[in-house]
Amino acid sequence: MPIVVNLDVMMAKRKISSQELAERVGITTANLSILKTGKAKAVRFSTLEKICDELDCQPGDILEFRKE
Amino acid sequence: MMWNKDKSLILSRILTITAAGVCIFIAFFIPTISEWYKYEMAFEATSIFDRSTMFLPMCITMYVCDALALAALWNLHLLLRNISRDQVFIPRNTSCLRRISWICMAAGAVLMIFGLWSSIFAFIGMAAVMFGLIMRVLKNVFEKAVEIKSENDFTI
Repeated sequence: MPIVVNLDVMMAKRKISSQELAERVGITTANLSILKTGKAKAVRFSTLEKICDELDCQPGDILEFRKE
Repeated sequence: MMWNKDKSLILSRILTITAAGVCIFIAFFIPTISEWYKYEMAFEATSIFDRSTMFLPMCITMYVCDALALAALWNLHLLLRNISRDQVFIPRNTSCLRRISWICMAAGAVLMIFGLWSSIFAFIGMAAVMFGLIMRVLKNVFEKAVEIKSENDFTI
């Protein structure tokens, strides 16, 4: 898929663990893992909003479009 | 006693097992039924081949259809077992429906061939093919539902 999820990069920059972020966002660590590994087929705006709020970043910092 | 979906599922499973029992029971009497049909059925629709040669083709048709019915019932049993485990929209269930559809079509084809000896069976065969076709469409719907569920499951 040409949409690349850079969540792990952002998490490393903010020095936050998966478990902590999952707890703060209100999703399971399994779902966060699906999102991090790029297996997710869609992201809800509400989830994206919470992630951006917790990581203090823009959606563009997490999601990137790369031409195949 | 309130009727609910669990009891409905149990009833479906009991009926499937009963139908399988009936199929196995009938298998022992196929030559007798064929003999009875050949001599005792007074009314008879038109046929292409001679009625006196129908015994063997009828036995073969009934054995094949009985085996196909058992195969279809086994697939129904698998389907109901998965549903009772709350695994509804999964690829395995789509495969079950696809197999049932092909089994119905195969039974329809066999019955239509036997329709050469007794035309009423050709109409039953057509009904079986039609049912197989409906099952195939149902399988296509199910396939799409599996895809939608997968998308829903991977929406975070």
